[in-house]
Amino acid sequence: MTYPVTSSDIDPVDRLAILAAALPGAAVAQRRIAAPFDAVWRVIADPGATPRYEPGVAHVRVIEQRGERLRLLVQDTAGREDVMDARLRPGWCLMQSATVVIAFAARRLGSQTLLAHLEHQRSQTPAPRRSQPHDRSAALAKIDQELRAIETLAIQNRH
Amino acid sequence: MWCPSSWKGRGNLWKVPGNFPVVDPDKVAAAQQGDALALDELLDELAPYVRRLCARIAPAAADDAAQEALLAVFRGLPSLRAPAAIMTWVRSVTVRTAIRLARQHEVEAAAEETLTDSRASSPEGLVDIDDAVARLPVSQRVVLVLRTREGLSEQEIATALGIPVGTVKSRLSRARAAFRKAWDS
Repeated sequence: MTYPVTSSDIDPVDRLAILAAALPGAAVAQRRIAAPFDAVWRVIADPGATPRYEPGVAHVRVIEQRGERLRLLVQDTAGREDVMDARLRPGWCLMQSATVVIAFAARRLGSQTLLAHLEHQRSQTPAPRRSQPHDRSAALAKIDQELRAIETLAIQNRH
Repeated sequence: MWCPSSWKGRGNLWKVPGNFPVVDPDKVAAAQQGDALALDELLDELAPYVRRLCARIAPAAADDAAQEALLAVFRGLPSLRAPAAIMTWVRSVTVRTAIRLARQHEVEAAAEETLTDSRASSPEGLVDIDDAVARLPVSQRVVLVLRTREGLSEQEIATALGIPVGTVKSRLSRARAAFRKAWDS
């Protein structure tokens, strides 16, 4: 016997849980998506698809890319622009501006996909204000809605 | 200093392994402030070390131990007072988590063993050095691994485990004797 084989990389969904542990107040939810990993990830990796599941976003453009590191220009529905730095690779997408952190993590489940989504207001760290139950449930409801919208897009994208 | 002879052939096992991560304290400080990209990079740097330690201390529960240790490390990161001392702290959190998971697994395995056989606690079927070490009691395995595979001093082991140096010495002595007995049989 030798030591058990462990994969060199952390599973993306497990990675998201670790990231969330360091971001007090982060809202995280998962959904089993009825579409294969590749179809789901095409939606996440396409900046043009973001406004179709994120209601506050009007437009996203990649303004710089080096390997898996990107810089994005995000315009909200009120016309305000914000720059986000990101890391993007299959199964893992982490975006951050001065005020918000957004992350997606995906795991293959046969012909389906487990998709986890995190949203975090950076002003909550390092000393988070005590979030009200309705704040948290609203954040989780928003994430759930986004995951459902992504599922719809991924199913359309399946072929 | 004693170590299994076949380990000696695998390079100098008395030094801290070359892949011991050196972490930039500025990155740690940024991560503590909630910089998610710094947290992401920090995870890249810490995970291989945490996984290696867990695989050695809790070989039968390595993946679970590594995930729990990393969760504990990142949950506790904002309260770490000295970013420069992060590796000592990470090591301590990881070792204690791995010990807990290893013991938990042993309890579960022992319960199953009563229904099957006692192969795991018997020297029969020993395949290699790592197998022999993996079959030591957790308290002995952890000090032997930290001393011989991770190159820690007895004082460093005592700090990581939160026990007196004298206890480390006695556990090391028992671990070496148990290893020799298992290996020679």
